[in-house]
Amino acid sequence: MTNIETYNYKVVRQFSIMTIVWGLVGMSVGVLIAAQLAFPVLNFDIPWLTFGRLRPLHTNAVIFAFGGCALFACSYYVVQHTCHVKLAFPLLAGFSFWGWQAVILLAAITLPLGITSSKEYAELEWPIDILITLVWVSYAIVFFGTIMRRRVKHIYVANWFFGAFIITVAVLHLFNSAAVPVSLWKSYSAYAGVQDAMVQWWYGHNAVGFFLTAGFLGIMYYFVPKQAGRPIYSYRLSVVHFWALVFTYIWAGPHHLHYTALPDWAQSLGMVMSLILLAPSWGGMINGIMTLSGAWHKLRTDPVLRLLVVSISFYGMSTFEGPMMAIKTVNALSHYTDWTIGHVHSGALGWVALVSMGAMYYLIPRLFGRELYSLRLVEVHFWSATIGIVLYIASMWVAGIMQGLMWRAVNSDGTLTYSFVESVQAMHPYYIVRTLGGACFLLGAVVMAYNLWRTIADATPVEVEIPEPASAH
Amino acid sequence: MFIQHTIGLFTDPMQEWEKIRDQQKSSNKSSVGHVFILALIPAVSGYIGTTQVGWRIGVGEPIRITGDSAFAIAVIYYLALLVGVFSIGWVIHLLGKAYEVERPLPLCITLAAYTATPLFFIGLMQVYPVLWLNMLMGLPALAYTVYLLYSGLPIMMEIPVERGFLYSSAVLAVGLVALVSMLAMTALLWGMGLQPVFTY
Repeated sequence: MTNIETYNYKVVRQFSIMTIVWGLVGMSVGVLIAAQLAFPVLNFDIPWLTFGRLRPLHTNAVIFAFGGCALFACSYYVVQHTCHVKLAFPLLAGFSFWGWQAVILLAAITLPLGITSSKEYAELEWPIDILITLVWVSYAIVFFGTIMRRRVKHIYVANWFFGAFIITVAVLHLFNSAAVPVSLWKSYSAYAGVQDAMVQWWYGHNAVGFFLTAGFLGIMYYFVPKQAGRPIYSYRLSVVHFWALVFTYIWAGPHHLHYTALPDWAQSLGMVMSLILLAPSWGGMINGIMTLSGAWHKLRTDPVLRLLVVSISFYGMSTFEGPMMAIKTVNALSHYTDWTIGHVHSGALGWVALVSMGAMYYLIPRLFGRELYSLRLVEVHFWSATIGIVLYIASMWVAGIMQGLMWRAVNSDGTLTYSFVESVQAMHPYYIVRTLGGACFLLGAVVMAYNLWRTIADATPVEVEIPEPASAH
Repeated sequence: MFIQHTIGLFTDPMQEWEKIRDQQKSSNKSSVGHVFILALIPAVSGYIGTTQVGWRIGVGEPIRITGDSAFAIAVIYYLALLVGVFSIGWVIHLLGKAYEVERPLPLCITLAAYTATPLFFIGLMQVYPVLWLNMLMGLPALAYTVYLLYSGLPIMMEIPVERGFLYSSAVLAVGLVALVSMLAMTALLWGMGLQPVFTY
């Protein structure tokens, strides 16, 4: 009997399209607030248009709306294809889509109104946190339910990364968002003082480690071999660096609290774990780069591969920079400066955004049974994005080092050489360059959106039959 | 000889890379003596700029560094530039294994040395150290260096352009990592008290 069951592409299509939409929204807000830092007049004296309210909107929109939708879309696609089975619990999968969009909309309303828990990357208030929990639990049920129904014995390594990401983010969210509500839109953290700070950065760094790294490594491990048309370079390396990454990342959080009230041993532990983290991070980078290197003859015809090469290179660069900045002596200079902002964006724009965009270039045409509208436009996107990232990082390096040096400069009589506002004034040219860099990156994203829109305009969604698993796998 | 090559890299880079390669293959030793001269440009300019001209941050008098302190920095700077060029050449040689194009070390060092040419020349701008202006001028020089790397590597290594793209990207990533290490090391040394002596 032939198998006529088809993949559930509906929810993948929904998440893919929203990835593009939220990407444009989040990056536009980013360019706006970058411009506000260079030209404060762009606040227009409207409270909800100020940097303080729009900054969390920017981070939430790019991390959880853009990045989150990309992760949902890719994990739902990958788990079906690698398990040779339709997505489990289609109703729950549908709920995970509409629920996640509701979370994003609520964030877009409450954050500009100034409703915030004040925890970085976890600003949303308790009613929204409960909705997030419901959505996340349904996501976990759908994902692991699909894995349990798999028709091949083996669980592909991408699914290990997605699984670790889903479980860890659930634990992080539950612990960090524990709060005592005092009204519908106001709550206080369940922890006090330095414990609160430690829980916050245990969460914060693992939001980077699991949401923005493990999940996107899952994307890399499926889409890079697929686009290159080659098996991954070393399966053994992928398994070794998976376990090393998962065990090490969870300890690195205290490096966000160097020279604070946090006990010194905890700071040192965080620093040592951050340095160790370099090894598993580079394991992933080497695996990705070597997989792509074998497909060099395809580069001429496939600009998407180039996007992926650059994204993995930036992953390697920023995972080297991170451990360096976690060294206490270096951190004494770099902390609270724009060097940190540059570091985050070399990871976020260079790695997370580019690998997601590469995955979308692979995914969206296939979901609609079309060829990509224009490879030439992918090329334009590639250059615009790369130049944008370079401008962004270079300006923030110079700005950050300058801030660090100015803040610690003292005269021979022990007084500070510079007032704070002088350091702000000195930042002006770099903030303009940073805004230009961000605008270049956004321009690339707009080109991508146009390209993908032309690809799928008046296309009909496709149904794809699930192939029988190969006997030898 | 190196002056011709240097000019050629700006007027007709592709052809010049071929000339450099052919010359390198016939002599089979690294023709990079000129690096020792070129690396003097940023080091000496930096010395003049920080001791004589000084730079301004925001308002106030220009900041300068004392002659002794600046001399020590200039020497370290000079050595760091040389170490940078030779170690990148060595990395290119090592990466050859991964990209299955093993070429002799002298050739790889020559590639690294000529690639860095625009950066050495733009070092002259440090005579007048205005950070944002230096950055504006430095970016095109950096862009041209990257172009020289991507165009020169396939020619020097005699491999197809697409394969060279990946190889060059790996070299570029190593270069970025080296840059970040320099930043971190500067911050470390500074934090340990080894900082320049300023004059106000």
